Amino acid sequence: MEADIANPSVSIQDLSLNFGAVSVLQTLNLDVAEGEFIVLLGPSGCGKSTLLNCIAGLLDISDGRIFIKGKNVTWEEPKDRGIGMVFQSYALYPQMTVERNLSFGLRVAGVPKEEIAKRIARAAEILQIEPLLQRKPSALSGGQRQRVAIGRALVRDVDVFLFDEPLSNLDAKLRSELRVEIKLLHRRLQNTMIYVTHDQIEAMTLADRIAVMRGGVIQQLDAPQTIYNRPVNRFVAGFLGSPAMNFLKGELEAGAVPVFKADGVSVPLGRYQFDGDGGRAAKPCIFGIRPEHIAFGDAAGAMPFTAESTVEIVDPMGSDTLVWTKLGGQIISFRVEADKTLRNGDAIRIGFDPARASLFDAQTDNRL
Amino acid sequence: MVDVASLSTGAQALRRDAAGPSGPKPRHALSRRNIFLYGTLIVVALYYLLPLYVMIVTSLKGMPEIRLGNIFSPPVEITFEPWVKAWATACTGLNCDGLSRGFWNSVRITVPSVILSIAIASVNGYALANWRFKGADTFFIILIVGAFIPYQVMIYPIVIILREIGIYGSLTGLVIVHSIFGMPILTLLFRNYFTSMPEELFRAARVDGAGFWGIYLRIMLPMSLPIFVVAIILQVTGIWNDFLFGVVYTRPDTYPMTVQLNNIVNSVQGVKEYNVNMAATILTGLVPLIVYFISGKLFVRGIAAGAVKG
Repeated sequence: MEADIANPSVSIQDLSLNFGAVSVLQTLNLDVAEGEFIVLLGPSGCGKSTLLNCIAGLLDISDGRIFIKGKNVTWEEPKDRGIGMVFQSYALYPQMTVERNLSFGLRVAGVPKEEIAKRIARAAEILQIEPLLQRKPSALSGGQRQRVAIGRALVRDVDVFLFDEPLSNLDAKLRSELRVEIKLLHRRLQNTMIYVTHDQIEAMTLADRIAVMRGGVIQQLDAPQTIYNRPVNRFVAGFLGSPAMNFLKGELEAGAVPVFKADGVSVPLGRYQFDGDGGRAAKPCIFGIRPEHIAFGDAAGAMPFTAESTVEIVDPMGSDTLVWTKLGGQIISFRVEADKTLRNGDAIRIGFDPARASLFDAQTDNRL
Repeated sequence: MVDVASLSTGAQALRRDAAGPSGPKPRHALSRRNIFLYGTLIVVALYYLLPLYVMIVTSLKGMPEIRLGNIFSPPVEITFEPWVKAWATACTGLNCDGLSRGFWNSVRITVPSVILSIAIASVNGYALANWRFKGADTFFIILIVGAFIPYQVMIYPIVIILREIGIYGSLTGLVIVHSIFGMPILTLLFRNYFTSMPEELFRAARVDGAGFWGIYLRIMLPMSLPIFVVAIILQVTGIWNDFLFGVVYTRPDTYPMTVQLNNIVNSVQGVKEYNVNMAATILTGLVPLIVYFISGKLFVRGIAAGAVKG
């Protein structure tokens, strides 16, 4: 799948985790390069947080090995793994001031006082929390708390940062602010970061590579653009992108130029890049096209494929408008600029480039 | 399309109509709801306070006044003689030094029992809640089942055990018995409290390198003042008021206050000194009462402090 990373910062080998009879993670392999920002993305219960807790050493694994910085840490305590962790609920110690929260780990480890002061000063400077050092967590806002939580990982001077949905408890505005801050932090520190989220925007904006997970299995591990443009299966295609990708059920007809056929529509797939020999055999398949890749009106005429349709529903979303229509007897949506005034029942012309579409086997859901 | 202009003139017309209800809804002090509510509260309060009133009043009367039989009337001549007698000179069996001996016995029983049982139970609860060791659930179930076994079943076996160890009749033996019997309910209390604390806090402390005792002493303890106060109230009142274990596992010179009280009140020789009996009873009940008053305040403060989420 991927070229092997020569000197992985974190290497997970054949990791399995069972809770009783329930298998949460199944022989999972993941190599994270030095200084890389990896996002584990998936719906609730896909095992992404569990995987992170295994890396942190907070959960005992059933099988496999974990290496951090080339050292086998499979049986090590969390504190000896060279990791810092940031939690969704901040998990600040409520009875301690910010300063004592930051220094707790260092005090436990018996680091000398001057060294503690130096590290706290540095972390506070990076995160701009100097005025808050003497406050209790209860006197901080959500964004400030999460900054302190990041600071607690920072002062430990670790190789690997683990983030467990750190922005999920914040409101939308703070979330995008802190997202940028985390990105800047990564650029400044150049540490390896593993970041768990179910928010695809966080994943797309932050990640060097995204690992999309489902049912304890990594579905696809790749750069955000690749995952967005060439999802390996229907789950990944549907999970990334908002509004979600349109799926049309139909048949793939083999030939010199394979054609996708669905109730009155036939899309020639000459420009579509098949994986291997996917286009050779005729079979039922699913045609996926993102709403933002469907052109409308005059722009549609320039597209390799065009079709006539009527507007069913119009959803104004502010920055743009989502229009629902029918293609091949199935509902699809596409995006138009907000200033386009469309009414229900208008006759329209839509078009797209099949090269930007994704074709999936109807049986296996895998990309063709 | 809605005509916006006519809509706004309509709204103005509505505003001009000042006769309708506006602002907060008026409340009547003598509404049926209030009469029922406060009436019930007053009746219940009187029902509970009347016996206490009778006790205090009687304890301040001399015997001649008591013989008149007006138990509700306040004392004509206030005397503290019965209180002094109850504390210092009332006779139980061979000893004639009043309740004072029993009081100090009870203190010597209660203080170590409370400290020991809460110290052990809080660590138990913490281990059960946060360190999911193998067999934790089984251990917990066994402990809880222990809470449902009637005391009567265990009294005699424990007598034998204490006798074999050689501490039967001593205060040490009773302290151990109290600590053991407090264990199930206290462990349950602490386990549930620690379970309700965010697990991520515990995980963060582990990543920070704190161990079993480090997390317990530096993270969990400072956060659990309210539950400790609850446990202290529970144990102090429970152990102080205990009669059964006190009478079974101690000897006359180590009897706790409650047993001594019983011996004073139920003595069959001579005249029934109701005033002394009342004074002795109030004296015995004073400690739990004080605990309620002091820790009740602390308790509320602890809850309030915990309510501001960290």
